Amino acid sequence: MEAPPVTVMPVTGGTINMMEYLLQGSVLDQALDSLLHRLRGLCDSMEPETFTDHELVYLLKGQQGNPFILRARRSLSHPNTPWHLRYLGQPEVGDKSRHALVRNCVDVATSHSLPEFLNEMGFRMDHEFVATGHMFRKGAMKIVVSKLSRILVPGNTENTERLSLSYLVELSVLAPAGQDTVSEDMRSFAEQLKPLIHLEKIDPSKQRH
Amino acid sequence: MSGGPAVRVSIESSCEKQVQEVALDGTETYVPPLSMSQNLAKLAQRIDFSQGSDSEEDGAEGEPRDREWGKQEQEEEEGTVKFQPSLWPWDSVRNNLRSALTEMCVLYDVLSVVKEKKYMALDPVSQDPTAGKTPQVFQLISKKKSLAIAAQLLVKGAEKLSKSVTENQENRRQRDFNSELLRLRSQWKLRKVGDKILGDLSYRSAGSLFPHHGTFEVIKNTDIDLDKKIPEDYCPLDVLIPSDLDGSAYIKVSIQKQAPDIGDLGTVNLFRRPQKNKGSMQPWHVKLEAAQNVLLCKEIFAQLSREAVQIKSQIPHIVVKNQIISQPFPGLQLSISLCHSTSGEKKNNRASPEKSKPDNHLYVLEHNLHQMMREFHKQQLSSVVMPHPATAPFGHKRLRLAGPLAYDKTEISNLQQSEGLLEKIIKQAKHIFLRSRTARTIDSLASRIEDPQIQAHWSNINDVYESSVKVLITSQGYEQICKSIQLQLNIGVEQIRVVHRDGRVITLSHQEQELQDFLLSQMSQHQVHAVQQLAKVMGWHVLSFSNHVGLGPVESIGNASAVTVASPNGEYAISVRNGPESGCKVLVQFPRSQIKELPKSDIIQDAKWSHLRGPYKEVHWSKMEGRNFVYKMELLMAALTPCP
Repeated sequence: MEAPPVTVMPVTGGTINMMEYLLQGSVLDQALDSLLHRLRGLCDSMEPETFTDHELVYLLKGQQGNPFILRARRSLSHPNTPWHLRYLGQPEVGDKSRHALVRNCVDVATSHSLPEFLNEMGFRMDHEFVATGHMFRKGAMKIVVSKLSRILVPGNTENTERLSLSYLVELSVLAPAGQDTVSEDMRSFAEQLKPLIHLEKIDPSKQRH
Repeated sequence: MSGGPAVRVSIESSCEKQVQEVALDGTETYVPPLSMSQNLAKLAQRIDFSQGSDSEEDGAEGEPRDREWGKQEQEEEEGTVKFQPSLWPWDSVRNNLRSALTEMCVLYDVLSVVKEKKYMALDPVSQDPTAGKTPQVFQLISKKKSLAIAAQLLVKGAEKLSKSVTENQENRRQRDFNSELLRLRSQWKLRKVGDKILGDLSYRSAGSLFPHHGTFEVIKNTDIDLDKKIPEDYCPLDVLIPSDLDGSAYIKVSIQKQAPDIGDLGTVNLFRRPQKNKGSMQPWHVKLEAAQNVLLCKEIFAQLSREAVQIKSQIPHIVVKNQIISQPFPGLQLSISLCHSTSGEKKNNRASPEKSKPDNHLYVLEHNLHQMMREFHKQQLSSVVMPHPATAPFGHKRLRLAGPLAYDKTEISNLQQSEGLLEKIIKQAKHIFLRSRTARTIDSLASRIEDPQIQAHWSNINDVYESSVKVLITSQGYEQICKSIQLQLNIGVEQIRVVHRDGRVITLSHQEQELQDFLLSQMSQHQVHAVQQLAKVMGWHVLSFSNHVGLGPVESIGNASAVTVASPNGEYAISVRNGPESGCKVLVQFPRSQIKELPKSDIIQDAKWSHLRGPYKEVHWSKMEGRNFVYKMELLMAALTPCP
């Protein structure tokens, strides 16, 4: 049976034409405490928020080369909150001077039957992982410090194994297309975090082999 | 000589070793040569210790000997020449040994003499006090001198230290710019933009959504004349705050009777509260705090006026310039105004006429407004906003749930917080007003009416929307007997709920008259209840009792109540009717035997029928002796009960 046709064009129109501006970096485990202290001082004054999430990455292989990727994420610390489905497009190849990675982003909150639905649609789960860590916000900027763990037995989120001895730090902003001042603010914020951590734009397409 | 026959010459070394013995068979036994130590011993034996040429003693003697020997010079020359070369290496050794021997001998001799104790005795040296004092005085003086020198050194060092400390304090007082900047940074958010230092005094990082930037600039205070003396409150650091946040502001909330004229609004008293600057706070801190307060007041007022315009209510709110006017109750006016006085204005504003009027500013409500605004800020930052899972966008949890759970509009609006700041503050104002009016009503009744007494016990802990008071109606002196009227009043926002002791729940509106009428009716009922209780105590029997009698004149407030009690022997009966408006009426029923003109009847022959109760007579209650109603009643009952 043929796979259903997949459109590779980004979804346009309506309020889902949002772009995600992203900067990434990593810190070793030993430097985590100082980074958290720094972030607590720089970000909005709130109680520090921890999270534990389980993310599944689904692929839809079409006839064309590039498969279509959707990310389904649920919270393990708040089991009653809805699942979150995310599509991330290709990074925009704009001018090199833009400081952050810009890509199209579509976010949808869904009910708890999302994995079965995606399976019925024809998606196949490629990999899954568990992310735990801390979240901060400053205005519209979100800073997520997370430790990724691999799931040893598929479906069992208790049995996990850490992937590395470091934490992944991501600084992201969701904004409508065309607002380049956002990347300036992100860069100035990232400056304040040096030399603890260097946040820079990492192109995911260059990472793939 | 050559040419002759070779002569055999045999050379034999001379015998180095001496021949000790020649044996019979020709072997020679040599004397073994001397070993090193034996050789040394042989040489040492040659030393003549009796002649010491270098010793001092011998030197003294040597002189006369020299004179003597001067005559026999040659002879002695030979002698000296003779022993000098052989003893030359041993000379010093010989001399030292000799002197050592001499010393040892002397010591030995002395010790042996002392040991005998015959010719020489050893005595310890006695501590002669007179001889010892003088060295002690010297010791003292020398110690004193040295101590004085040491003290001088210490004092010099201490002086240096104290001088440096005072210098330091002077410097601190003079407040270096950098140290002030450090102090400023510990309390306020600063960042460097180019070569300017900017700060943020807004509440944005605490969750506010007010669009004011709230940026202030830090500058060096250079207008100081270094030649003149530095003034006491000099600070090298100064802050420039935005011009619209200058001065001080507060929000005035007041309730007054509705102004008949609606024309002169909006020119609210810019009464300036005196700024009391505590000496410990730096001037920039005071300035920044005042500016932040102004910003918060502006935000509160903006939020209130926005709600006043948007929210539809039965009686619309009026927003004029810096005042919001609304009507919580008919005839009453609540005005919320933003009073902002800039530092440029002098005291000749409208402050002077206002000072004479008592300030009906409700400080509690102003404080509550500030608190509610900060609550709102905190809500913005609450964890409800943070997304779980982490990659979801920001936004209220409600919106994220709405999609998957398929909420419709009514459900979403139900989840939303429907009350705004203005509604809340109006409700609180209503409650405060109702509570104060209730208190006034009760107090006025208590002061006006002496019998029965009304007591109000207010609870200490109240809610913003609810307070409670317990009202007791008692008669003086009979509190234990007559305590049947106890009311619990729960004062809400618009209504008063009364819970009676017997379980009835009555809801009164905000009208003052209702409460007053109710309390009056309760007071009249109390009197009748009191008679009932008193009868029990006095031993009288209650014949009938009714809270609401349907006979007699109609009362405009409540209903009249009545009770009839009979004496223990049955001869007398007292009937009491008490109404809130008509007052009390007391009638006594006498036995028939006390009537002056007893109608003679053929039917009633027996004398015993004369003991029955017959006619009634009214009591002049006002002329009755007694402090209050119950006392009078007690006296009456006592009078009608004959002693046995």
